[in-house]
Amino acid sequence: MTSYFIRRFLLIVPTFLGVTILVFMLTRLVPGGPVERLLQEAALAGADGAASFTSDVVSSGGSTLSNDQLDQLKAYYGFDKPPLVSYFHWLGNVFTGDLGKSTRYGDPVWDIIRSRLPISIFYGITTLILTYGVCIPLGIVKAIKHRTVFDNVSSALVFLGYAIPSYVVAIALLTSFAFWIDWFPLSGFVSDNFDDLSLIGKGLDILYHAVLPLIAYVAGSFAFTTMLMKNSLMDNLAADYVRTAIAKGLNFRSAVFDHALRNSLIPIATSFGNNITLIITGSFLIEKIFNIDGFGLLGFESLVERDYPVVMGILVISSLLFMIGNILSDVCVAVVDPRVKFGAGGSNQ
Amino acid sequence: MNFNTFYRACGLFALSVLALALTSCSPEGESDVLSEFPTITLPPIEVAEGDGLPVEFPEDLEWITNNDDPEFASPDAIRGGTFRTWILSFPLTLRTVGPDSNGSFAGFLRPIQFSPVTFHPMTRKPIPLMATHWAFGADGRSIYFRIHPDAKWSDGEPVTADDFVFTVQFMRSEQIVAPWYNNYYTERIRDVKKYDDHTYGVQGSHSKPGDELILDLGIGPTPDHFFRMSDNWPVEYNWKPAPTTGPYHVGEVEKGKYIELHRTEDWWADDLRYIRNRFNPDVIHIKVIRDETSAWQHFLSAEIDTYGLTRPNFWHDKTNAEAFRKGYINRYWFYTKLPVPSAGLYLNTADGRLADKNVRIGLAHAMNIELLMSTVLKGDYDRLPTFQLGFAHYDNTSIYPRNFDLAKANAHFEEAGFTEVGTDGIRVRTNEDGSKDRLSFEVTYGRDDHTPRLVVLKQEAKKAGVELRLDLQDSAASFKKMLEKKHQIAWLTWSTSGLSPRYWEHFHSVNAYEYDPEIDEMIVKTQTNNVTSTAIPEMDELIMKYRNSSNLEERISLAHTLEQMVHDHAAVIPTYQVPYTRDAAWPWIELPEWLGVETTGSLFNSQANAAGMFSSGGLFWINEEKKEEILAARDRGETFDPVIIKDETYR
Amino acid sequence: MFKLDPQTIKQWKRFRSIKRGYWSALILVTLIVLSCFAELYVNNRALIVSYEGKWYFPTYAGKILPGSMFGLGDDYISETNYRDLKQKFKEEDKGNWVIMPLVPFGPEETDGDHIFESPSLETKHFLGTYDAGRDVLAALVYGFRTAMAFALILLVCTYIAGICIGCLMGYWGGAFDLLFQRLIEIWNTVPFLYVIMIVASVLSRSFWTLLGVMVFFGWTTMTWNMRTSTYKEKAREYVSAASALGASNTRIIGSHILPNTISVIVTFIPFSIAGGIAALTALDYLGFGLPPDQASWGNLLKIGTANLQSGWIVTSVTVSLIVVLLMVTYVGEAIREAFDPKKFSYYE
Repeated sequence: MTSYFIRRFLLIVPTFLGVTILVFMLTRLVPGGPVERLLQEAALAGADGAASFTSDVVSSGGSTLSNDQLDQLKAYYGFDKPPLVSYFHWLGNVFTGDLGKSTRYGDPVWDIIRSRLPISIFYGITTLILTYGVCIPLGIVKAIKHRTVFDNVSSALVFLGYAIPSYVVAIALLTSFAFWIDWFPLSGFVSDNFDDLSLIGKGLDILYHAVLPLIAYVAGSFAFTTMLMKNSLMDNLAADYVRTAIAKGLNFRSAVFDHALRNSLIPIATSFGNNITLIITGSFLIEKIFNIDGFGLLGFESLVERDYPVVMGILVISSLLFMIGNILSDVCVAVVDPRVKFGAGGSNQ
Repeated sequence: MNFNTFYRACGLFALSVLALALTSCSPEGESDVLSEFPTITLPPIEVAEGDGLPVEFPEDLEWITNNDDPEFASPDAIRGGTFRTWILSFPLTLRTVGPDSNGSFAGFLRPIQFSPVTFHPMTRKPIPLMATHWAFGADGRSIYFRIHPDAKWSDGEPVTADDFVFTVQFMRSEQIVAPWYNNYYTERIRDVKKYDDHTYGVQGSHSKPGDELILDLGIGPTPDHFFRMSDNWPVEYNWKPAPTTGPYHVGEVEKGKYIELHRTEDWWADDLRYIRNRFNPDVIHIKVIRDETSAWQHFLSAEIDTYGLTRPNFWHDKTNAEAFRKGYINRYWFYTKLPVPSAGLYLNTADGRLADKNVRIGLAHAMNIELLMSTVLKGDYDRLPTFQLGFAHYDNTSIYPRNFDLAKANAHFEEAGFTEVGTDGIRVRTNEDGSKDRLSFEVTYGRDDHTPRLVVLKQEAKKAGVELRLDLQDSAASFKKMLEKKHQIAWLTWSTSGLSPRYWEHFHSVNAYEYDPEIDEMIVKTQTNNVTSTAIPEMDELIMKYRNSSNLEERISLAHTLEQMVHDHAAVIPTYQVPYTRDAAWPWIELPEWLGVETTGSLFNSQANAAGMFSSGGLFWINEEKKEEILAARDRGETFDPVIIKDETYR
Repeated sequence: MFKLDPQTIKQWKRFRSIKRGYWSALILVTLIVLSCFAELYVNNRALIVSYEGKWYFPTYAGKILPGSMFGLGDDYISETNYRDLKQKFKEEDKGNWVIMPLVPFGPEETDGDHIFESPSLETKHFLGTYDAGRDVLAALVYGFRTAMAFALILLVCTYIAGICIGCLMGYWGGAFDLLFQRLIEIWNTVPFLYVIMIVASVLSRSFWTLLGVMVFFGWTTMTWNMRTSTYKEKAREYVSAASALGASNTRIIGSHILPNTISVIVTFIPFSIAGGIAALTALDYLGFGLPPDQASWGNLLKIGTANLQSGWIVTSVTVSLIVVLLMVTYVGEAIREAFDPKKFSYYE
């Protein structure tokens, strides 16, 4: 089995190369890159009729750039070499831990990514805690009270959360509770005066800003884990060993909590590994709607604004995490369920 | 199988990947930058033999100044307070030149660098700013300036003639990665010379009328003492704000969140005639709000002080909010007279069907711009009759726009051979070789919020048997398509500024086609602003004449002829102009009685200049007492009569 | 003759017994069928025009009927404005008449006199208007049809691709499987928006180009699921038995593996539909979806959130989205239960 996992780790390499080379080539094809954005900013008016901010020198110059000057701009943004050459140059840097510099902010990509990580990790971990903290007990209760009113109503609710895409939840919450009823702040991770607050004040401030986005984050993830918990507990309750235990006089309570519960947590544990990516990447739509400066929003903005080094940097981190997450979840399965055997040609997902 | 060991190994591996990543990218030391990118000394200004400014200072100069024009700031103004405004995205740089320096934040940064001479916002005459006096050289293409003796940078260093000489060296250098500036300062400026610490001269390439010369040669200073030139310049100075000569300098920066401009203490220009009582707030707090809706809500809850309402849906629909109904927020509608951005539909004559003038004129008559203006635009905008407008005498007022007229449209289309009408109602032409052309065009544009406008035009154009297909791309991508001349019809707005209209980059044939030696043919030239692919020999001739003329009368008459030719050529369908500025403000932001002046770009522009050259901004001030009153009244639920002021003095 | 096997009948009965899902399915099917005939009740084209004794049916005429046909002048070469025509006939009172649909507005049609107007019976904008005076209800109805059509076609295309590739991956295994696994992993990380932007710069945006891009990226999920279930089926005795009896590969896949994985496929359908609708709406919301002037839910959502003072826009579109997606999910839940009959023993 160890050899199976070693093979899995080795397979990361071709996938990683494939992913990065493909996306790198795509960035060369997308219209509207940094050079083109520069050309546009120099010529076009801003909003309607509003006096433009373009410097009068630039626009009254009315000059057209020569090919040499265009080449100089291309060289500045690193578009002067053939794509494959630049790709290998980039890849070489990545292996020395250098993700390059953002074409937009001029800052090292890693610094930008690192500055966004705490926010995303905060939301990721809170979502995780909330999801498991609510779903496991809820799933247990639903399994015990199968086909009761409580079960039906909570199913309907959980599926409501599942059915609505998280960005629609976010929009609905924001319009209702921040715009129309002024209960929660409009946007952001913390208030502007965050630094002046006491420690408790800071905590409350973060929570105050986090309520609506967190609801949007968790609403969709409740259904899956809750139903998984419920179904697997019901499977176990129906299993022979529990029936036997009850037949032998064990009370129902300890049958559930001492015997069935432990085994029915196995499927929950197997899905845990995938959360590693959830913690980091978040949802760019939710972050965009609530104006939270997290990893997801960074990814989206860098895509839209063609900040290719950042795009590639995020890709490196997220694809590695994604693949490691997959392997970790297999590891989890193997750890909690000794019956599982990998590598014998069976499914490895 | 030893599984635990393996599991631990995996965990360790994952952790070490993260740790490696976390540690490997520590910020580079300052010394590394220095050694990696050695300091470069910029070459002195070189002038061709027999050209350039005189070595000896010419003594027979007639020094000019202007201290007689009216003051336009209010003596009631109160100094102090924080003016809170917003911006859609955090700036990419704090430089004013070089890559990415042309974003919207440049609107805050550029005006706080003063030029030697500016223009009075009412009389439009030159007035002193950094320079106390100026004089025209005998050659008709040079100006000499005397710098204000007290002029200082915000870091306390005095401003000297060297800073102006450095500007030209700096703007010509490749290190700043700003080819437009490189071109401009090479093509338009021949020489700059220091005569003493406070006197210098600048020479241009062509003789021009006086005001144009001032605009061309009145270059601002660049802090020689501050910049270290190297090949890493754009990166090194990306977040290092340069000292300024204007009222504000970049004070506090919280990346991604806000930027504060602070008023320079003991600012040297505080008591100048045209400056006093202006630029009143101590701090300009610019908050980053990534979303217009959210910014609007911030404004309604008094977290920002003013909001631009130029767009019709803002003034008419969005103000239907409680804070307005209860009279807490004031509204101002102020008509102005400024160069008009060239908004229009630009027809690419390189497209087979659009090469036919009848089709182009037909299209102009098929665009129901009047209906667009009366419905979606709520009747606020005016029709734009010509390509360029707002340059006083240069404007050709004898041209009338082509109005929506189905009879004329049909007549022109039929003349072009589009006589059949398909089952879908779109006109069709059968060519001699049997192929068919449909009157169906793709309109390329880059602004999502303009979709409703184009939807109206599209629907109306059907009445003339024309189909418009909307091709919305994001703004950079759409402009790329236009510069590559791959569009059929471009919906865009060129920015305008300066004292006279410009034709060369939009209509000269060198910007339309170029010779390709490989196929021995003329091909479409890409990356130029001639998006209509106009190439008319007579027009080329006039454009060059206009460009090189120094006679004001001749220039004006040439501009009239050129504008008429643009109209006759019908490759541009001018759409609308915005003859006003419109803003909402909480009442503690107070304005002079006269609100603004003829050339006010925005009533609540905290900066010196609007539209580039007229010094009209910074007239408002903050009344802190009133702020407390109003906010208290709001909390009590008191209401006021809404204040809506429409000022048509300069209509 | 086609005959339902008892297993299917049993599943159908179980499905019917789950009320929430059953009713949702009924309503959804009704809505889809109704939306196919949206032209009959939400349209700017008249149902019937009676002009000088002759009847015209503009909705299904197959071509536009120019105004010149109804005596509106010879140069009226474009489509008749039937609302105006109705008004004119009424005023003339010559026995000509026009019957308009219930909602007399088309989905892309602008109404300059009513921009951002709240719902009103009088103007017949029953759910109000948005940007250029387009009707919210018309946009909802046609937007529903577009979204449903999009989701269904997407489903068919991705399932065909997914089933073929997934089956082969599971059945053949080995190098083929390994290769496609890497491919899928790579595929999943490609920034979708870039591909949309590249495609938009070459081809003009349309329903079909967007669908093409979505299929191009959407086949991986179903492939993965099919691969797993094929693996499971392949390992079972009856496949080995068939193989031992000399059945060909095609026969094994076609008559043994596929029929047995059908339950997996069916249970995924509703969730794929919900996913398709949500994805299209999100793309439109971000401005990377359908052509900008085409009525769609995402576009309504975008305009609604940008104009919160006109609350009827955002309210009607979010409510519609929630209701439709909820029903789809309930159907999915019911199907899953019907196909996966776990008869649990109860305690107490």
